[in-house]
Amino acid sequence: MRRIYPLVKKELAVFFNSPIAYVLGAAFIVFMSVWFFFLLRFPARNVASLRGYFEIIPMVFIILIPALTMRGWAEERKLGTAELLLTLPYREVHLVAAKFLGPFLFLCILMALTLPLPLTVLPLGNFETGEILGEYIGILFLGAAALSIGQFSSVLSTNQVSAFLLGAGALIFFTLIHYAAEASGVPSFLAAVLRYLSLDYHFDSFRKGVLDTRDIAYFLFICAVFQYLSVKTLVFRKWS
Amino acid sequence: MIEAENLGKSYGSFTAVKDASFRVSPGEIVGLLGPNGAGKTSIMKILTGYHFPSRGRAVVGGCDVETDPVGVKAAVGYLPESSPVYGDFSVGEYLDFVAAARGIPPGSRARAVEAAISECGLEKMRKRTISKLSKGYRQRTGLAQAIIHNPAILILDEPTAGLDPNQIIEVRRLIRKMGDEKTVILSTHILQEVEALCDRILILNEGLIAASGTRDEIAARLKGGQEYALTLKTEKSLNREELAGIPRLAAVESFQELREADEPARQAGFKLYEARVSLEAGAEGGDILFDWALSRGLRLRSLTKERYSLETLFSRLTGEDAKNERGGENA
Repeated sequence: MRRIYPLVKKELAVFFNSPIAYVLGAAFIVFMSVWFFFLLRFPARNVASLRGYFEIIPMVFIILIPALTMRGWAEERKLGTAELLLTLPYREVHLVAAKFLGPFLFLCILMALTLPLPLTVLPLGNFETGEILGEYIGILFLGAAALSIGQFSSVLSTNQVSAFLLGAGALIFFTLIHYAAEASGVPSFLAAVLRYLSLDYHFDSFRKGVLDTRDIAYFLFICAVFQYLSVKTLVFRKWS
Repeated sequence: MIEAENLGKSYGSFTAVKDASFRVSPGEIVGLLGPNGAGKTSIMKILTGYHFPSRGRAVVGGCDVETDPVGVKAAVGYLPESSPVYGDFSVGEYLDFVAAARGIPPGSRARAVEAAISECGLEKMRKRTISKLSKGYRQRTGLAQAIIHNPAILILDEPTAGLDPNQIIEVRRLIRKMGDEKTVILSTHILQEVEALCDRILILNEGLIAASGTRDEIAARLKGGQEYALTLKTEKSLNREELAGIPRLAAVESFQELREADEPARQAGFKLYEARVSLEAGAEGGDILFDWALSRGLRLRSLTKERYSLETLFSRLTGEDAKNERGGENA
């Protein structure tokens, strides 16, 4: 862990050295605020719950997460700095872990910046703080899974644009796949599989503020699968 | 220090390195020389642990590139063809990152960065953003990155490509200085570069090692002997066949009469001939030619032992000549 600290620090420095991070961060916060007060007409609904507020997060992540991960490997390959990273004394798994942790910490910062919104309304009604906490934890798990998918997209791409598009495409697939289960004529076992694969489906219980270990296991499983694929792809490239 | 055995590398159906075996001893500066696409970069990528070989094996600094790539990476400092620098970082930040990633403990990190900066003459650029640096300083930053952990082995892929003449001299001076204590492999397609820097040359062509050794060794092996240029002065006329009488002659490379009208010797009624001959390996060419000329009543006006230019060797080994020679063998 201590060994990859310089790599994680570098990933964060790359974020904060470029305007993209600030633009993305600002856009995210502004969007969430607008959504919070305006789109939701929150004060008028007279319900002391933030459920609707977090409803949108999986959709927002379809855009936000690939924007965070697109640089990752694609840009390093284009600039030739991937050759530096891959000849530093690390195993591929360390590099992938660092490229995950960098954007993940950035996401944590972004989410922390949205905290004032719920905190301002907290005294106004009878909110369940446990529910809000659960929602935040759920968002971080969802974010971790999405970032792993995004990183794998970046590993497969040679430039940022295709990394973004591939990542967004994959996230649309993994977010909305459970709708396919609702279609008529889908055999029940397939519907179960499709539902199981869906990020949005597993985010549902977090929305209600419930921390279900099955959902946590699913998000960790998605993280593991896509980070494994990233590592294997990097190692495979050494052979080809 | 570096051992490669029957190394091969294929990318899909394209074979970049067919079969390369070589050794590099500690403290040697070895130049990989070859036309573009000869397999230089592929070999370096294998030796740095960036790629695995498709065939054969390589041991670098005691570590096998396939079974212990991390060990290889720790022992090697590598400057890839395009300087691997982050444009958004300042020179100092970048080197600090590499030093940390190389596992240099925080206590001695600043010293390592300073040492690399002063070694590469980057003192004034420390705070500059890398994207604003000139190509030469970028390359030096890349070089500083490669030496920051004081590696025993340095692998430099075209270290002077794209630099102006002054920068080239600077970088070469740096490499020579590092070569005093480190093992260096550098690739280039610039012939003067290996002349200026390397103890030994590996000439690569189409994925094979066409020749290796010092320049003179390669020249000797290539020709099997030495070449001499001589000018002969005589009253009679001389023809090419008569040169066949030279003892231990290998070949007559060229023969022609000099016809410059303003030559005083010609005006005095002499004829002048210019010839290039090569003798068998080990022959005392100067003595033989002198004695031969004397015995024939020819006067030697000049006699020079030819040193092959690397250009000649290179084109013989890798260019059209090589194809002709190979074609000749087949016929």
